[in-house]
Amino acid sequence: MDKKRSSLKAGSLLLLLLLVSDLLLCKSVASLPICPSGAVNCQVSLRELFDRAVILSHYIHNLSSEMFNEFDKRYAQGRGFVTKAINSCHTSSLSTPEDKEQAQQIHHEDLLNLILRVLRSWNDPLYHLVSEVRGMQEAPEAILSKAIEIEEQNRRLLEGMEKIVGQVQPGIKENEVYSVWSGLPSLQMADEDSRLFAFYNLLHCLRRDSHKIDNYLKLLKCRIVYDSNC
Amino acid sequence: MKENVASTVVFILLLFLNINLLNGQSPPGKPEIIKCRSPEKETFTCWWKPGADGGLPTSYTLTYHKEGETLTHECPDYKTGGPNSCYFNKKHTSIWTIYIITINATNQMGSCSSDPRYVDVTYIVEPDPPVNLTLELKQPEDKKPYLWMRWFPPTLVDVRSGWLTLQYEIRLKPEKSAEWEIHFAGQQTQFKILSLYPGQKYLVQVRCKPDHGFWSEWSPESSIQIPNDFTMKDSTVWIFVAVLSAVFCLIMVWAVALKGYSMVSCILPPVPGPKIKGFDTHLLEKGKSEELLSALGCQEFPPTSDCEDLLVEFLEVDDSEDQQLMPAHSKEHPGQGMKPTHLDPDSDSGRGSCDSPSLLSEKCEEPRANPSTFQTPEGIEKPENPPKNVTHTWDPQSTSLEGKIPYFHIDGSKSSTWPLPQPPNQHNFRSSYHNIADICQLATGAAGASATFLDKTDKHAFKSSKTIETGAEGKAAEQREVESFPSKTDQDTAWLPPQEKTPFLSVKALDYVEIHKVDKDGALSLLLKQKENSDQTEKPSIPETSKEYAKVSQVTDNNILVLTQDPRAPNLALFEEQAKEAPPSLPQNQAQKDLASFTAPPGNCRLQLGGLDYLDPAGFMHSFQ
Repeated sequence: MDKKRSSLKAGSLLLLLLLVSDLLLCKSVASLPICPSGAVNCQVSLRELFDRAVILSHYIHNLSSEMFNEFDKRYAQGRGFVTKAINSCHTSSLSTPEDKEQAQQIHHEDLLNLILRVLRSWNDPLYHLVSEVRGMQEAPEAILSKAIEIEEQNRRLLEGMEKIVGQVQPGIKENEVYSVWSGLPSLQMADEDSRLFAFYNLLHCLRRDSHKIDNYLKLLKCRIVYDSNC
Repeated sequence: MKENVASTVVFILLLFLNINLLNGQSPPGKPEIIKCRSPEKETFTCWWKPGADGGLPTSYTLTYHKEGETLTHECPDYKTGGPNSCYFNKKHTSIWTIYIITINATNQMGSCSSDPRYVDVTYIVEPDPPVNLTLELKQPEDKKPYLWMRWFPPTLVDVRSGWLTLQYEIRLKPEKSAEWEIHFAGQQTQFKILSLYPGQKYLVQVRCKPDHGFWSEWSPESSIQIPNDFTMKDSTVWIFVAVLSAVFCLIMVWAVALKGYSMVSCILPPVPGPKIKGFDTHLLEKGKSEELLSALGCQEFPPTSDCEDLLVEFLEVDDSEDQQLMPAHSKEHPGQGMKPTHLDPDSDSGRGSCDSPSLLSEKCEEPRANPSTFQTPEGIEKPENPPKNVTHTWDPQSTSLEGKIPYFHIDGSKSSTWPLPQPPNQHNFRSSYHNIADICQLATGAAGASATFLDKTDKHAFKSSKTIETGAEGKAAEQREVESFPSKTDQDTAWLPPQEKTPFLSVKALDYVEIHKVDKDGALSLLLKQKENSDQTEKPSIPETSKEYAKVSQVTDNNILVLTQDPRAPNLALFEEQAKEAPPSLPQNQAQKDLASFTAPPGNCRLQLGGLDYLDPAGFMHSFQ
């Protein structure tokens, strides 16, 4: 009788423990709430921050796309650059989602941090892109002006993203991880063909990454601000 | 023989070849990928164009490999996209990845491969047209009727999650028309059209574009018939309003044209410019006293005769002719240590009086309520009423000129209209301030120049005019000298002809001193003003009283000289002495340019310098002690 009772007790205790631990675990798995501080203006300002960020990212991608098309038309015709620009972006080491399902499965904090990483990875290349395009023979004004504009807007977008991150997950400061770009020597090569290919590759990667950032941000905006009901 | 065999073999071979050729069989031609499209950025389809098939059944295969992979895959679905297509479903689609796609055509004879095509799904998005376009005519009660249309995004596109963001465009036209009217609708899924022709049948279409992709095709046409009564009912109202307002504007223009001037003058009355008739301001500005004096009709200057009877003339100022006044002299307060007067900004129209706060020195104990009127100083006889004493009015009937001290204020800062020395015939004292020189001259019976201030028509009012004139003869030179004292003469400076002969003795706090004379150094000899009859006495007479003001106790910073009694008998020497010292004190006062320097009569001419261009010679006597 005693044994039964004690075993019953133990069993129920175990069950209780299991339940409690389950609850705790479930809670920990769930993502942190947006605006945890519960500040009054948090939701509103987050909307504005996202709207602004999306505008910037959209604009940056448009510029990158135009810049790439102009460069392609002017310098890359018949050189077969497209066949060589395969798997050559410096940000490919960052594991970014490759389709909608993957993107929707990522937690928003991770996606935000990913966006930050990609943005930071482009600070250096953009800077050198501007200076090197300037030094090009017959520096194309259209391309140069777009490069300068992109560089500036990228900086602004980074600031905005940091603000968003500050609001969505305050207090969590991740290390500044980003991909190092080492393509500067290629941009300065003496061989014109190689140099032009280096530019082509850089612009191609910029177009792609800016599209990624734009897409991720729009996903996040609809998810966070409009509750997946854009 | 061998040749025959060889040629036969060749012939047979050729025949064989020809037979084959005649049959038309060959390896397939090179296929070519036409396009690849993704309707929602989750799947995509590629279509190709076969090359020549070589007469044999040719099969096509699509092979691809992705960027970063080495494995080659074959098309997962040849059917869904139709003939010569390959459909990549979600599982096989990766965004932001380059696909290298190749088509292989194979037939019995051989095979041929297309050129590889590099496809990134990111940039090949072309959605389907929007669906469920509905049109509706709405005619709300008080508003204009309009056509309201709405649609839905294409079914495959995921807009809710933000994976794609669509923008729309609609176009419409009346059925018979050839031109489409295109409107951009942004991201909204509805639109209103206001301008429609009644009685027409309209066709409407809509299309969409993803944020970085291609425009879709136009949706199928939707049509709607506009009823005949679909008019803008309020257009007649607007026409009516427009006509009314046009009529109103015409009336206004007509009224303004007819009565423009009077209306304008009614709204903006012209500002009177003060003037003294016959006075030439330009001469004043130049500072040529001789010309000015002569222009004013001054006679010799300074007056040579003693004017015992020099009376202090009192200014009678009344309201009627402000406009005739000279432009106000800027008034300046020589800060000479006089007791500060009540320097209220005197913004009246040019009257000055002892009553006016600016005029009142410490002698005037109570500024009057109406500072803008001159009143005859009551004179010495009523010292107990200082405020009244300091008011001057030109009163022809007043008999108590003698012994009265005109209070004059030279006020550097006021812009009241000082009557500048005018040609005697023209000046209307009654309506003007007299500058200190005037008063002093009158008081002291200074000659000539003071007469210039006086309106000859009102000569009776100016008792001292004659006296002034008498003194003027010999004093012209001195006058000039005296006039030149103040370094900057302003308009308010008294126009004081040098007086030589009228030592002015005066008695009480509000005594009037008469400028007896002004010597060459500009020293003013002051006489105590006696009671005089109304007639102007042309001779300054030594006053009977022994009182005499020969000291400047102080000079207020309003250019008011406060004189004190000096028991000494007046004598020229003293005056000269005094006069020597007087001039330096003068220049400090003036900043106005209009009149020639006023000659502050040193000594007894107790003039108080205040806001209204009164010259207080007491100030000049400051150094005499």
